[in-house]
Amino acid sequence: MNLKKSFFVAAIFAIVALTCWEFYWRAQGYHPELEDNKALWAVQRGKVNYASSKDIVLLGDSRMLFDLQLDAWEKETGIRPIQLASAGTTPLPAFHDLVENTDFSGTVLLSVHPGIFFSSTDETAFLWRRIKVRIDHYYDRTYAQKLNHFLDIPLQYTFTFLRSDDEEWTDDLNLKNLVNNIRVGNREGEPFPPFYRFQDIAIDRNTKMYDKVVTDTAFANSIIKVWMGDGGPPPEKEATMAYFLKDLEKFKSRGGRVISVRFPSSGGLLKGEEEAFPRKDFWDELKNRAEIPAYHYKDYAQLNSFYCPEWSHLSASDADTFTTELVKILKKDKVLIN
Amino acid sequence: MLFNSLSFVVFMIIVLILYYSPILNWPNKKRMLLISSYVFYGMWNPPLIILLWISTMIDWTAGKQLVKEKDQNRRKLWLLLSMSVNLGFLAFFKYGDFLLDNFIALANAIGFEYQPYKMDIILPMGISFYTFQTMSYTIDLYKKKIEPAKTFLDFALYVTFFPQLVAGPIVRSKDLITQFYTPKKATVKQFIWGLFLLTLGMFQKVVLADTFLSDTSDRVFAPDQVLNFIDAWTGTLAFSGQIFFDFAGYSTCAIGIALMLGIILPDNFMYPYASLGFSDLWKRWHISLSSWLKDYLYIPLGGNRYGITRMYAALMVTMLLGGLWHGAAWTFIVWGGLHGSYLILERLQRQYLPFKINSKNGIFLAFLTFTCVNITWVFFRAREFDTAWSMIKSMFFLNPDGEKILPGFDIIKVLTVIGLLFLCHWFMRNTNVKEVTSKMSPLSLGVVWAIMLFLITIAQGSGEQFIYFQF
Repeated sequence: MNLKKSFFVAAIFAIVALTCWEFYWRAQGYHPELEDNKALWAVQRGKVNYASSKDIVLLGDSRMLFDLQLDAWEKETGIRPIQLASAGTTPLPAFHDLVENTDFSGTVLLSVHPGIFFSSTDETAFLWRRIKVRIDHYYDRTYAQKLNHFLDIPLQYTFTFLRSDDEEWTDDLNLKNLVNNIRVGNREGEPFPPFYRFQDIAIDRNTKMYDKVVTDTAFANSIIKVWMGDGGPPPEKEATMAYFLKDLEKFKSRGGRVISVRFPSSGGLLKGEEEAFPRKDFWDELKNRAEIPAYHYKDYAQLNSFYCPEWSHLSASDADTFTTELVKILKKDKVLIN
Repeated sequence: MLFNSLSFVVFMIIVLILYYSPILNWPNKKRMLLISSYVFYGMWNPPLIILLWISTMIDWTAGKQLVKEKDQNRRKLWLLLSMSVNLGFLAFFKYGDFLLDNFIALANAIGFEYQPYKMDIILPMGISFYTFQTMSYTIDLYKKKIEPAKTFLDFALYVTFFPQLVAGPIVRSKDLITQFYTPKKATVKQFIWGLFLLTLGMFQKVVLADTFLSDTSDRVFAPDQVLNFIDAWTGTLAFSGQIFFDFAGYSTCAIGIALMLGIILPDNFMYPYASLGFSDLWKRWHISLSSWLKDYLYIPLGGNRYGITRMYAALMVTMLLGGLWHGAAWTFIVWGGLHGSYLILERLQRQYLPFKINSKNGIFLAFLTFTCVNITWVFFRAREFDTAWSMIKSMFFLNPDGEKILPGFDIIKVLTVIGLLFLCHWFMRNTNVKEVTSKMSPLSLGVVWAIMLFLITIAQGSGEQFIYFQF
């Protein structure tokens, strides 16, 4: 057995195969991207421990993630916010963690997307569990996991075939996803519609929608199909409100400030949201009971002129403009402390 | 630290550079390996290294006294100290919550309201492995079966040697400590073979266990569902493959990594899914644990020396405790009990219904054994008895209206992988990887190796835990 020869054959064949694999996916229009995973989130969460009272923490779901642009905010205020919003999650557990486990007394900008914010306080609920996994990872991550993340980042920046994510997008390129995308028959009923990744995320989790969503209507429609797929369980308004107000009181008592924002939505999704979560019963009631500055995009002409290409989030350029206009309003109202 | 992680790649490169650099002499290389092993362990949870130190210190001291002491009663006390500390660690860290829960349940059942705070004890990674390994040293010294380690460094390295520290193989001192006495260096052939084994182990873990099988098994064993016959069997087969590839993969990696350092570790798996009966299975599955249980539990309990009834009792106790070793839950005890029952039934069959195994009935017998093993895996995998019962009912056609939750391709995928696994074990049962690869041309072996490397890389093991870390 000539092991040396086998070793060199293996090394050369593996390198050639991986190079071909990489170029194949690039030829398909993919590019290297960072994963929005629990490790990336945990790094930002760690920054809160060192944040001053002048700092801003962003909490909420994907609307905060897409629509609030860190560069635009920093340009207007000189402060780069800490992005802790997480797609498809309720902000309540992350806010609770901030209140209970940190001394942070700065400003929290909170996305209130009624369908998500008022969803549930059940720790096993989907929207709760997803952010809880990230919070738990922040506390439980080992030194080895921290080092793995540190070593993984340059690779994610370099290789397209590493494209993967906690969200498990239909177009993730890891082997498991490629295999799971194969369908034979329709044994388990109608499958969930394909959900393609539609954003880039930076190392500080600043997130921008792909231009493709704006230019390719079919692509945008595939995302709309996902939003319209499942209405979710009925809201638990009183339980969620009580949970939030309790944390809010404690946060306020140590000098912290919370500003709530309702980001834009469009089309059939907006219609559905307005029907299921009438403004006066949810947004207005929260605003009155919480007694915090609250900004609904519909109340401001500068914020109300945007169309969401996939009905739920702003395009990258619109998100920049929206952020700039929002900061101007906040400054005018003197709710930002610098 | 996990073998399938980037941090381990960096760690291993540094260890190899230091190990093969001429600046360190052999004792210093051993010191470096010892420190590296602590780093390897501490990257998970540094304070728990203290447990390793305590175990090492106690067993080193007890070992020395066992050699020096002539008085049998005092020797017994030293052995008792060693076993109390190691089993005490296991009892507290691994079984603390389980014992407390059962105590509460018992107290409540007899009408005594008792609700203490949950202890939420962290389970130190690999505690079952290193405590068993270090106990074998003191027990063997007590029985005067081995010589004591020459130096504390050799002994500490034996307890902590990173390739097999957290998930075995559980190596006996005579097989490992003696290797540390003289300078070790892998030959080029050994080094490359070690790399091949590391690749093979990773392939089993990252590609076969995590990529092809884990999702199906997780989906099927989720609680509160009543499944269709096909889904229940597919999920059970998926877990059967997952646990084999996960654990055998880890052992293969460990053997490969040690070999790259010139250290030889024993085989831990020998194609167990083609076993001809359960005695054969336990000579092929987790060999280092089953031989440990045989030598330190079954034989001291009487083995086959005191008649049939005592032998069956010893067998059952050994398997029940073997089940408990895997996890602090009643489901694991049932798993052990089922294996104990299978072993007893097999002995009864040999006594009253003997038959000769030939090539014709062999594969049928192997398939029957594999099928029975799968039934035991249900209890091993299910977190709750309700889930296990529901699965068993589905597997025996007792849930005719069970849900179909698995996509068609999942079923094809699992049945293909498990079918190939079974056939591979059948054809490999009297040979080994080295023998098979030695008959291949260097080009074919290189291509197979390249395919494994390619699939491991594109599978991108996300550093998921090895299942056996929790044991």
